[in-house]
Order: sequence, then structure tokens, then C-alpha cells
Amino acid sequence: MIRTGPVKIKKATIYEILRLAAIVFVIFVILFPVLWVLLASFKSPGDLMRVPPVLIFEPTLVNYNVVAREGFLFYFRNSAIIAISSVAFSILVGVPAAFGLSRFKTKGKGGIMLYILSVRFMPYIIFALPLFFLMSRLGIIGTHGGLIFVYIIISLPIVIWLMKSFFDSVPRNIDEAAALDGASQFRIFWQIVLPSALPGVATVTILSLIFAWNEYLFALILSGREAQTLTVGLTRFLGGMETAVRWGMLSAWSIAVIAPVVLMALLVNRQLRRGFTGMSGD
Amino acid sequence: MEWKNALIYIVPSLVVLFIIAIYPTLYAIWSGFWDYNLHRPDEWVFAGFENYLKLFSDSRFLSSIGITFIFTFLSVTGTMVLGFLLALLFQKPFPGKNTALALLTIPMVMAPVVSALIWRVFFFEPDVGIINWLLSLVGISGPYWVSSSPWALISAITVNIWFMTPFVMLIMDAALSGLPRDTIEAAMIDGAGYWQRVWYIIIPLLKGPILFTLIFRITIDYRMFDIVYTMTRGGPAFDTELLSLWVYNVALRTFQMGYANAGAVVMMILIGITCLLIVLPIIRGKGELL
Repeated sequence: MIRTGPVKIKKATIYEILRLAAIVFVIFVILFPVLWVLLASFKSPGDLMRVPPVLIFEPTLVNYNVVAREGFLFYFRNSAIIAISSVAFSILVGVPAAFGLSRFKTKGKGGIMLYILSVRFMPYIIFALPLFFLMSRLGIIGTHGGLIFVYIIISLPIVIWLMKSFFDSVPRNIDEAAALDGASQFRIFWQIVLPSALPGVATVTILSLIFAWNEYLFALILSGREAQTLTVGLTRFLGGMETAVRWGMLSAWSIAVIAPVVLMALLVNRQLRRGFTGMSGD
Repeated sequence: MEWKNALIYIVPSLVVLFIIAIYPTLYAIWSGFWDYNLHRPDEWVFAGFENYLKLFSDSRFLSSIGITFIFTFLSVTGTMVLGFLLALLFQKPFPGKNTALALLTIPMVMAPVVSALIWRVFFFEPDVGIINWLLSLVGISGPYWVSSSPWALISAITVNIWFMTPFVMLIMDAALSGLPRDTIEAAMIDGAGYWQRVWYIIIPLLKGPILFTLIFRITIDYRMFDIVYTMTRGGPAFDTELLSLWVYNVALRTFQMGYANAGAVVMMILIGITCLLIVLPIIRGKGELL
């Protein structure tokens, strides 16, 4: 049948177009600050101070050179060592714990889970001051080892809670069958249940790495000079930031801090989102 | 037998948690009863409840509680409402939805310190910042955002809402996708309008995820440190000094460690009570939470 007359656009189609426009707008608003700083990081000091801000300019790497000269790599190395080591430790200790909590009926399990959850939600400042004293006594304040240890507060509860829910979703009859075949408890954990929960391990690793990389409060109080992390290094420059040079450096430094995390987040986005929504305890 | 088997797996974590979490908490509670200074860490004078009595006549501490309450209330309300509305907007599948959700995770994974700094330097800066420039286009001369009241607190809340809304949105999007389709469609046949459906059918169905997100958001905002510290350091005067900042400032600026720890303990008790008040009715209603 050939249609004649004007084509009617349905009301639903208009709604859909408006909806998509709204979605694009929302994404733009949410990403705008990041895009703005990305642009700023390539601006020369002169372009940075222009009012109104310029969108078209000659890009320069001068800010990144300043950042490199200010010892960026030193802080980067500290952040990487501390984040990776503490997350590795939390996985090593926390994954078996999650298995234990998932697979065994034990007295006080609910209490243990609730305590672990409450550590996740506790005001961190309450740990910070006593740890400051404890670590001073032990002489590990301002060392990588000290911060690695402290950062476990952040990652261990995430690892245990999320891994428990991943283990819970691995069907029990698999390990029951293996047990009937005479497999030891540890073999069941290591060779049967853990491999099926590996995507979960990836998720908790990414999530904990992000939190450790971005951490500020503990690092500010406990990292001293030798183990100072990227986030603390960045705020060092906040004091005298009137000049355009500082602005350029701050934006380049910001971009360099977030680049590894953002890239990782985009690469494994599905797992990351699963982790974030899983934290809500569904 | 079960119990013993489980111990091998669980005990290492419990030992670690004891050292890094339980011991420090007990230490904080204990030292809240003493008077000692960071400069002379070995001279502890027993103070009993003096620190606590002092706290409740310390107007700076009391106003810090109030500021924390306002900050948390507005941030949580803002992120929950916006996040939920965004999830509704994104709910129906559209081409590129996966990419859109991926892009929304970017602010969430950025260091809060970096976000705060970006906003402070490029948006709230009074002379060359974007916001005041935009305001000047319509003839308004904008305030000194992070260094005058009440704008400093408003600025900090704005940044926090920007930072946390995508998080709520993602959780709500996942929860919405998990809803039984037929319930919603049945409501459509009954002729319920869109917002009626949202209010009377969808929200009650999402009670679980909403309550959990609420607790999550409340506790995280309540202990906020990095964004506000980076933006305002607690100023102007003490107008944005949240509880975490109060403890930090008292401990590391005036070095009264016992007093700071007492404040931290009060802070912990207050949030504990708040969470209990929210969770208890649910446990009573359902019998079980975990």
C-alpha cells in the first residue's frame, strides 16, 4: 500500500528523540569538567588565563614537562607500589575468607559479615589517628610497608563482601559432587570453586585498585615524605596556585593521575559496573 | 567439623582486621579518656569524661555536627533523586547504552581530590572560573565560591553530587532492569500514568536496593574528607568543617590527641545510631537482613 498525504510523526517518536537528546546532554554535563581539564592541560600559560576561555589554541606539552620535572614519577611509583601490594595482600587473605563464609555454616557468621561491612562504612578518621601512633611506635610511618598495611582497611571488606556473593552464586552441588569423589576441602576451593569465580576476582581487584589509587586521608596523615602518593603530591601545589603556570601544571597532573584508572575502568567496564552495583548488596 | 574447617579460611582475615580496624578503634575509645598532646606523646593524663563534657560545650564541635548533617542530608537527597531520575531516563534500551553507561563511570573512578581540585580551580575560581564568567554574561557578578559562606558549603555539596550521582544511577539502572516486566505492564493496562506507576509500583518494588544505597550514601557522605578538605580546608572560618575535618584539624593542628579521639568516637556513635535507626525496622519487618 502506498501512503499518500503527510507523514504523521507519532508522539512516541518525538518523546524518544527528546529522551535521547536529554541523555546526550546529561553525559555531556557529567563529563564536562574532565574534558575541560583535558583541554586545559594542553594550553600554554597565556591561553589558560584567557577570559572568556578559548576553545581553539595551539596545543603544547609544556605542562606535562613541568609535571615530569616536579617528580611525578616518584609519586606515581609510590602510588603504584602501595595500591598494587595492598590489593594483592587483601585478595590473598580475603578470597579464602569469602569462601569460608560462603561455604560453611558457622556460628556468628552474620556477626562477622556485619562487622566487615561496618569497617567499610566506618568513618576512616577513627582509624587514622591511632594508626598514626601505632605506626610511629613501630617506626613504619612514612614507609611503603606502613601504607600498604593501612590500605587493607579499604580493600579487605570489599574483597570479602563481593567475593562472598560471587562464591554464593557458584552452585553448591559442584563441590558436593567433588567431595563425594574424595577431593579435599582445599582442592575443592582451589581447583573447582575458585576458577568459576575468577571473573569475581577480576572485579574486586579492579575496584580495590581504584579505591587504593584514589585514597587521600590515610596518605595525607601517614605517608610522610618518602611514600607520598600522587593524590597528596597533587594537593601540595594548592597553596600558591594563583599563577597560570600552576594551573597548567595542576591540570596536567590531574590528567596524569586519572588516566591509568580511567583507561582501566573503560577497558573492563562491565566487570567494574558489576562491582559497583554489587557493592549495594543485591 | 564445619566450624573448624571454616576457621582456616577465615582466621587470617580476622587477625588482619583486628590489627588494622578493631585495635585502632579500641585505642581511639581508650585515648578519648586521656589528655595528651602530640608533642609529648608519652605524657598521658587521665581525664575521665572531661573530653566528652568539653565536646558538648564546644560550639565549634557542635556546629561541625550540624554542618555534617546538612552536608550529608543535601548530598544524599540530591544524589538519590537525581540518580533515580537518570536511571529512569536511561531505562529503556537505546543504541549505545553500554557506551553511555561506561562514560558515566568516569567521574566515579577519578580521585575525589582531583575532582575537587578541578572544580575549585576551573569552575569556582572567582576571577577566571567558568561559573562566574557564565554569570557575568547575564550581568551577575558571582560570589567568592569556596571562600565565602554559605557558598563554600553549597560548592562542596555540588561537587559531591556531581561525583556520586552516576553511582546511584548505575545501581538504580541495574535494579530497574531486574524488575519483573509483567508487573509493570499490568499496571499500564490498568491505565496508570507514568509517574503514578513510578511512585506506586516501581519505587515500592525497589525498596531493598534503595534502602541499601541510602545507607551506603549516608555513611560515605558522613565521613567525607577529601573533597571538602581540598576545596575549602574547612573554611571560611569553620563553616565547612565536617566532623572528619574537625578531628583532623584538632589532632594535627592543635595536637590535642585525646580530645580529637573523643570527637572521633562521638562521630562513630552518631553514625552507628543513625544506621541502626534505618536498619532496625527492616530487620524487624523481614526478620533478616543478610
